[in-house]
Amino acid sequence: MRYLVCIKQTPDTAELPKISPEEAASGKLSVNLVVNPWDEHAIEAGLQLMENYGGTTGAVTVGEEGAIDALRSALAMGCKDATLVKHDDEIDAWGVAELLAAAVRHDGDVDVVLTGQMTVDGNSGAVPVALARKLGWPVLTGVAKVVELTDDSITVERVVGQARLTVKAPTPVVVSVIKEIGEPRYPTFINIRKAARVKIPELTAEELGVDVPAPVVHMSNFRKPPARDAHVKLFEGTPQEAAAALIDALLEEKVL
Amino acid sequence: MLTLIEKLIFAVLVLATIYNGYWAFYKVYLVIRRGQGEPGDDDIKKRAWNAFVNWVTLRPVWKTRPVSSLFHAFVAWAFMFYFLVNFGDIVQGYFPIKFLGEGFIGNAYRFIADVLSVAGLIGMTYFLVRRFLAHDPHLEFHDNIRLHEKVLAGGLKKDSLIVGLFILFHVGFRFLGESFTIAHEGLDPYQPFASAVSSLWAGLPDTTLVFWQHASWWIALGLILAFIPYFPHSKHFHLIMAGVNFLTKPERPALGALEPIDFEDESIEQFGAAKLTDLTWKGILDPYACIMCNRCQDVCPAYTTGKELSPSALEINKRYYINDHVDKLASGGECELKLLDFALTESAVWACTTCGACVEICPVGNEPMFDILHIRRNQVLMESDFPAKLQTAFTGMERTGNPWKLSASDRMNWAKGLDIPTVDENPDFDVLWWVGCAPAYDMRAQSTAKAFARILKEAGVNFAVLGEREMCCGDSARRAGNEYLFFELATQNVETLNEVKAKKIVTTCPHGLNTLAAEYGAFGGHYEVIHHSQMIDDLIKAGKIRPKKELDATVTFHDPCYLGRHNGIYDEPRETLSFVVSETVEMEHSRNQSFCCGAGGAQMWKEEEHGAQAVNMKRYEEAVETGASCIAVGCPFCLTMLTDASKEAGDDGLVVKDIAELVAETLS
Repeated sequence: MRYLVCIKQTPDTAELPKISPEEAASGKLSVNLVVNPWDEHAIEAGLQLMENYGGTTGAVTVGEEGAIDALRSALAMGCKDATLVKHDDEIDAWGVAELLAAAVRHDGDVDVVLTGQMTVDGNSGAVPVALARKLGWPVLTGVAKVVELTDDSITVERVVGQARLTVKAPTPVVVSVIKEIGEPRYPTFINIRKAARVKIPELTAEELGVDVPAPVVHMSNFRKPPARDAHVKLFEGTPQEAAAALIDALLEEKVL
Repeated sequence: MLTLIEKLIFAVLVLATIYNGYWAFYKVYLVIRRGQGEPGDDDIKKRAWNAFVNWVTLRPVWKTRPVSSLFHAFVAWAFMFYFLVNFGDIVQGYFPIKFLGEGFIGNAYRFIADVLSVAGLIGMTYFLVRRFLAHDPHLEFHDNIRLHEKVLAGGLKKDSLIVGLFILFHVGFRFLGESFTIAHEGLDPYQPFASAVSSLWAGLPDTTLVFWQHASWWIALGLILAFIPYFPHSKHFHLIMAGVNFLTKPERPALGALEPIDFEDESIEQFGAAKLTDLTWKGILDPYACIMCNRCQDVCPAYTTGKELSPSALEINKRYYINDHVDKLASGGECELKLLDFALTESAVWACTTCGACVEICPVGNEPMFDILHIRRNQVLMESDFPAKLQTAFTGMERTGNPWKLSASDRMNWAKGLDIPTVDENPDFDVLWWVGCAPAYDMRAQSTAKAFARILKEAGVNFAVLGEREMCCGDSARRAGNEYLFFELATQNVETLNEVKAKKIVTTCPHGLNTLAAEYGAFGGHYEVIHHSQMIDDLIKAGKIRPKKELDATVTFHDPCYLGRHNGIYDEPRETLSFVVSETVEMEHSRNQSFCCGAGGAQMWKEEEHGAQAVNMKRYEEAVETGASCIAVGCPFCLTMLTDASKEAGDDGLVVKDIAELVAETLS
């Protein structure tokens, strides 16, 4: 079995609100960059599949040279290999999907492609679906649990609103996971050290034979929401009194 | 004097004991050498003197349990003197002389021997009665503590009985032997007790008295010969190994300062301790020194609130494991079991608050806390198996430089409108204020930071803060076993501190104080670091601030573990308080025997392990018992824990405030 996790390097969620539109537009961010938190769950899912069904899990990302750090994090978590698809120019979800699809084909016989449900910076959630479209594979989104994986099919639980659906699809397949799939594991130092030593192969669009489509999505009015006039109220007293006061306040605000 | 045949038999037995004893002792040496690292050999004279003083005066024993300590001293001093007495008896057995003569020295020798023999017998009887008749609960363990199967089967009682009877018979027969000699040769005014007993033998024929003289000699000294090879197997070995422990104990800049790991060394394949032999050599020496008195257990905040951790059980389990595998360990064989399989449970590992009470109280210089920290290193660095909530703190420290995972650019939010100079704005500062994550980010602790800022400004101190360049000091990462994360934070912080040329640093958190003062040295950071309570004390004494003694409150000061026990700062916070409050009272556990708030050792960032009571509630109850209306603290974690406990207690909860807040309130 072969599992390939598609990840993206994004700003840390704690730092996101601090990024100005100008900084974001310039593409040169001064904040700490990490593996997109949703994708960490996808890595965890890939590692669980490897542990439960055998095979190897690899990671792939599309990005600039610095995105290698995100791949090293994936290796440190336990991925067996990683590939950087180097791309410096402006790109949208459709273009990323094109490159990732080529990387998947280049990888060989991949059974399951895993992704997070979205990225914390782009927030489109379009890549997993677009990637499946490009590959011509089925896509399972909102996956909370892999029930069974066989040589030619996968059975998963999807969370849709309040409901949980158990669905089966033929492999190869694109699976986009949600948080419930499992908390991302914390890398051991042994794996961090191993990951630091690995030479991560780089591929370009040219080497993959891909003509990256020009972005079809453009940000026309990229701005921060106006600061909200939020205020914090602390309720004093015993837990019982504080809870009663909180309920009164919520009733007053018509929240309840 | 012995007969020729007796002399020959005794000489042969001595040779046999030397042979057996040599191997038994040498095996202990080989087992201890299986541990990691090397004993320090710096300043051997000072170490030797310190070990000697501790050994002779029993200084560390007197910290608690005064009655038992006194009876122990009887036995210990008797035994120490018996090194000389046994030698003297052998000399007298082989040569027709009175050892040390019958002048002043000889008389004094016999007098001391006589008194100490009786003292030793009384002392030993006390301990046997305490264990076997009075069933002292201090010698028991809670049911949830992991114990070696031989301990569960009564191993401690068995070993204690063997040791106790050995001492009773050895000292008893030596004493009786003297009484027979006196009955035979006439009263000795310098042996009043033996002389008194000798009256019992009045009228016995000389041959009987001589027989019993010889028999007593043989029992007293024969027991020593028989016991020596058993000695390293028994807990009585503590009488030698305690001295060895004090002789070789590493010099640390603070009670709990840890050794760093060399992450650059690619030959290291094991980080932290999974097996016994992964512990330091000290971690293997400790169980040999342990006398299994459970004093560490008595003071352990985890144990006394019903968690699965008992520091003494840890040492005892290690000792029984070593005894079971001594040949294998001595010959370089691999341990099959992991420490978590026999020494303690996983919950016990994560229950430790690293308060250092076990290290401080141990009469033989053991350091069970360090084993736990080495095991945590293994759990994090090798196994990635640790309480889930710690991961949030780890990733927070990694990515945003604080365990709350709040934005690094929010670090100065607390200082808005207060005109707090950063090192960029005031590069020529005299004092660098290390604010710390909690005073910067935690809403409650921010008022400590604000109060201290007010004090510094009022006093006209030329200070600066690092602002957004300050990262978490890494204490929580290190105490949680994430040494690699600590290594990264320490390296970066030292680089920053050296770059801004910090010399004198004041911290508003004892964890920062401990880390910067005692642990950054290994990373090239050498600074004069003081706690804010010390600085406030200095400022008041220098007349820079004039707080009024107007707080009409009875205040009790809670010693933060990392300020007090770990770094020995007890007086300045109390002095500072005395300037501003009308009355101070002490809790039952204070100063070096203070009781943890429950947040140390990265407990702040995880759920408390399952037990009978929360640590903070136990401490809070002690504060309530003093009748104080306010608990003064000097640590943001203690502030959180005791405030929570006060809220839990309801309406009449005590006020919990940092010393800086109390002082700032009195500034006009």
